[in-house]
Amino acid sequence: MERRDFFKKAAVVAGVAAVGSTTAEASATHQPIDNRKVSDVAFPEKRPLILYSDRPPLLETQRDVFTSILTPNDQFFVRWHMPDIPTHIDPETFTISVNGLVEREINISLNDLKTKFEQVEVTAVLQCGGNSRSAFTPIAGGIQWGSGAMGCATWKGVRLRDLLDQAGLKKDAEWIGFNGSEKAAYYETPEFIRELHLEELDDHVILAYQMNGEDLPYLNGYPLRLVIPGSYSDSWVKMLSNITVTDEYKHLFFMDVAYRVPDNECECETPEKKAPKTKPITKMNVKSIIGYPTNGGKLSLNSHVVVRGVAFDDGHGIKKVLVSTDEGKTWQEALLDDGKAGRYAYRAFRFTFKPTKLGKLTFMAKAINNIGEEQPFANEIKWNHGGYKYNGIDEVTVEVI
Amino acid sequence: MKKLILITALLASPLFAQTKEKIEVPYVAFPIKMGKGFDAVQANCLMCHSFGYIINQGRQSKAFWRGKIDKMITHFKAPIGEEAAKSVTEYLYKHYGNGKLK
Repeated sequence: MERRDFFKKAAVVAGVAAVGSTTAEASATHQPIDNRKVSDVAFPEKRPLILYSDRPPLLETQRDVFTSILTPNDQFFVRWHMPDIPTHIDPETFTISVNGLVEREINISLNDLKTKFEQVEVTAVLQCGGNSRSAFTPIAGGIQWGSGAMGCATWKGVRLRDLLDQAGLKKDAEWIGFNGSEKAAYYETPEFIRELHLEELDDHVILAYQMNGEDLPYLNGYPLRLVIPGSYSDSWVKMLSNITVTDEYKHLFFMDVAYRVPDNECECETPEKKAPKTKPITKMNVKSIIGYPTNGGKLSLNSHVVVRGVAFDDGHGIKKVLVSTDEGKTWQEALLDDGKAGRYAYRAFRFTFKPTKLGKLTFMAKAINNIGEEQPFANEIKWNHGGYKYNGIDEVTVEVI
Repeated sequence: MKKLILITALLASPLFAQTKEKIEVPYVAFPIKMGKGFDAVQANCLMCHSFGYIINQGRQSKAFWRGKIDKMITHFKAPIGEEAAKSVTEYLYKHYGNGKLK
């Protein structure tokens, strides 16, 4: 493209240009930004979503999608790290390689994966560690996601364990490295590799080729991705190409520098005094999102409203979801779905309410999991430099007319 | 004959990609504030990522923007010289800064 064209095009507002405010208030979290519109541009296999970047693609799901346990593939959020994503993968010739400290190196085709191994399914939430990052003040580094860098799907594939068994782990095997196919612009840039300790890899970890009964969309990692129920999405390597077994941990950027929180009890720090030690974000905390109504919506006086949303954690399971309509002074229990989608899935909740007063009305939702962990109020959440793991009580304000 | 075709299609279906052709990730134009130093942004930043990736970090301090550039140099191995790094920092701080040096 000619430079002039570039400038001319640049004048067109096509994507989100979310530049936060310059308020110099003291460090306090608040509700994540929730006023972004979907883009005019639809990405491959996707409906138009909230757009932050085209290269690498960064797309967020809008709030009103979060009323049922499965997030449709074409509305599922997208997050890549590198600019160069393979735009064509031939399912006939694609293979996944298992090598390193194994008895036999294997290259398995997609067809073999689908026919020669036990096929398993898990419904699990995929959430970016930086989901809701826009809640933090001062503004934490990274994309200023609202609450839609998450989704829940039924993933189908084969157990990682079965694949490793086929290759046969050697005695010293301890770490499993997963390599995705995305590429940087420079050869020297570190590849997107994750390493997981064998102990972290239980039978729930699968290599999935299907999402909600369809091929994975390219932008969600076609043809094969890692699924680690309960863990944040930075570990769910997309477009998986290679699995390498080692006895020693390799130092990797995406493990050792990115996606880490302070290694202290509150997982918190201040911009002036950053925590000296950090740890990986790993497991998700308990969280819920209201999908209906949405901010700025209108409800009719004395109408029968059913508030809907989803709640999840890292697999302990959701015990209850409470809703407040008086700024958190009193709480009432919402109805939960049957939970048959399993402990890693969204629990859909619903709460019937009849608005009897005109004017502004705020709904709050708070999830509590089976080990008694509950969501704190937004302003109780302490800051961390990467803006990770926000799980404040969700709020939606509507007008009763 | 019709039945045979159907059977063949079913057998082959597991390996049909949903998308048969190369996908094309669209180009999106983000609003850019023109000014001194943008040339350096264009020359040093935009081959790896979009302008959207920059401005959607929110308004940040001068030290934050410099830190991001250093991260690109140190961890992502971007070949950005000191002069360019300074120009990019000044540009980002001026147009997408929060008024704080640190």
